[in-house]
Amino acid sequence: MKFGYRLFLFLFAFYAALTVVYWQMANEPVGITALALSAGLALIIGYYFWFINRRTGGILPEDNLQAEIADGAGELGFFSPYSWWPLPVAVSATAAGLGLIIGWWLTLIAVGALLISVLGFVLEYERPSNSSSH
Amino acid sequence: MTTFATRPAEPIAPKSPKPLTKGQLAVKLLTTTDHKLIGYMYLATSFFWFLIGGLLALAIRAELAQPGLQYMSSEQYNQVFTMHGTIMLLMFATPLFVGFANVIMPLQIGAADVAFPRMNMLSYWLYFFGSIMATAGFLTPGGAASFGWTAYAPLSNHIYSPGIGADLWIVGLAVSGLGTILGGVNFVTTIFTMRAPGMTMFRMSIFSWNTLLTAILVLIAFPPLAAALLALESDRLFGSHVFDPANGGAMLWQHIFWFFGHPEVYILALPFFGIVTEILPVFSRKPIFGYKGLIAATIAIAALSVAVWAHHMYASGQVNLAFFSFMTFLIAVPTGVKFFNWIGTMWRGSLTFETPMLWVMGFLITFLLGGLTGVILASPPLDFAVSASYFVVAHFHYVLFGTVVFAMFGGFYFWWPKMTGRMLNETLGKVHFWTLFIGFHTTFLIQHWLGIKGFPRRYADYLATDGFTFMNMVSTVGAALLALSMIPFAINVWITRKAPKVNTNDPWGYGASLEWATTCPPPRHNFHSMPRIRSERPAFDLHHPEHAAIESHK
Repeated sequence: MKFGYRLFLFLFAFYAALTVVYWQMANEPVGITALALSAGLALIIGYYFWFINRRTGGILPEDNLQAEIADGAGELGFFSPYSWWPLPVAVSATAAGLGLIIGWWLTLIAVGALLISVLGFVLEYERPSNSSSH
Repeated sequence: MTTFATRPAEPIAPKSPKPLTKGQLAVKLLTTTDHKLIGYMYLATSFFWFLIGGLLALAIRAELAQPGLQYMSSEQYNQVFTMHGTIMLLMFATPLFVGFANVIMPLQIGAADVAFPRMNMLSYWLYFFGSIMATAGFLTPGGAASFGWTAYAPLSNHIYSPGIGADLWIVGLAVSGLGTILGGVNFVTTIFTMRAPGMTMFRMSIFSWNTLLTAILVLIAFPPLAAALLALESDRLFGSHVFDPANGGAMLWQHIFWFFGHPEVYILALPFFGIVTEILPVFSRKPIFGYKGLIAATIAIAALSVAVWAHHMYASGQVNLAFFSFMTFLIAVPTGVKFFNWIGTMWRGSLTFETPMLWVMGFLITFLLGGLTGVILASPPLDFAVSASYFVVAHFHYVLFGTVVFAMFGGFYFWWPKMTGRMLNETLGKVHFWTLFIGFHTTFLIQHWLGIKGFPRRYADYLATDGFTFMNMVSTVGAALLALSMIPFAINVWITRKAPKVNTNDPWGYGASLEWATTCPPPRHNFHSMPRIRSERPAFDLHHPEHAAIESHK
């Protein structure tokens, strides 16, 4: 995915240049920080794409101008058919926020519920590594 | 002797599935991970908030129709315009983008689903509950938040805005914003990792491109908003002094808020530009004019949009006017390039004006006017004259209503057969378009003059001697017509709920991107079979092989 890192490294270079220009012209701390952090965000993603591209090499089927659909044959990935877990995660996250306003007791309960539901969400399809059903 | 048996052909006729019971439907809605169903839920929920925000707008217009306070106190008026802005931007338009991107983008890139289906559902629920929370202030004794959707410090602190409604607003938006950020992560990942073989970046449809760039803007813009909201809540609850004006907190808030707020405008604009760009070639019967130039313009808009935030703060007298004015003028250039692309697409095309195309025409006219007043406002001396007046109100309604609402209805009429398998009624669609178009321009065109004459935004009242009465009355009548235009749409959706199925992959006959190469509505994982992808118009190449793109011999 050459384009992925090119796009993000372009954004990094652009925001970095803007940071310098803005520093020189306005010298206002909030904007400098925000622009520099945006450059950093683009750099992290761009570096990751660059690194992955260098490590894997080759051209992926989706980047191949002459690819056939069959080139992508094989396991596409795992798609959860349905899941009960997103709902309790969102409910407990909302309740934790609501607790800040109406009373800490709710936040305490909600953070506990949030931990449980996040664990459930993350581990929903995890099985012990020696399991034969994996 | 044969050593193999012929595989029996798979049944072609679709099984007519048994309708779900209410309980099964409820479970499905609560637990689904299907990007299309989640997208429909996003579209329906955001449309619901559009109607609520519209009712609040009618309340504003009713109050302003005559001098004097007729229905509301000033405080109630403040609550109403605050929640109107908040709902329209963060509960209607932003999730509407997520909805369209969810339904259409994976189909257009040939993916089976989004990269993180469960996280997609989590985004939806965070949006769902966060929005309810932010609006629940109306049910509290002190009423909802009333500091404007911009929540400027120190107005938004616990001294000037006491009451639980403001807290609910702040935390609710933080929760809902978290959902938006997760949605942005999901879309970027999906587009970079889940394209079909042959679907190179420069064969992606413009809508998918704009979804990618919008999602990147979400990643840049929403975290500062979340941070600012949480710091503001910490000021209110724990007495911290982040946004204390004594430490320069007033300017700090404005900078952070608009560092979110301006990219947010493009988050609302870009995906809807994408919808328009999908519709235009289909009804012009021509490929997009200047495909790569259009993408370059979109990248330029996305890159520049983070560098123009303080043009909302000219009147503060504390920002570098030269930098922000130059950047704002600069961003008008790629936007103008897009207009040339759109016009070039129609140029000498074989145009027909089905309902989706009408909405695109409405978009082009409305957004052009909004863009032109934007160039006026980008000039500091002109901005000083009309800052915080109804001229600004008219400007951003032309920009946002022009892009979001016109393109939304265009997208609904265009993709309705893809989403439901049935066409919407053309006649009612045209009635819908013309009432909305006339209603909108009656409401907002006159507000430019109202602003130039000096009527400030966010005022609940004015004097009969100010000379604003007639123009305000015209605007209110327009708003009523605008509201009535929802009726033909509602009738349309109702009467076509059992219309005959389209039974074809491409009911418009000239569909270009990959979603027109699958059934209406698409199966659970989107494609039973996929055409070879050799251009940015794979479905067109499939259905019109005699015109198949020459690009295949590159």
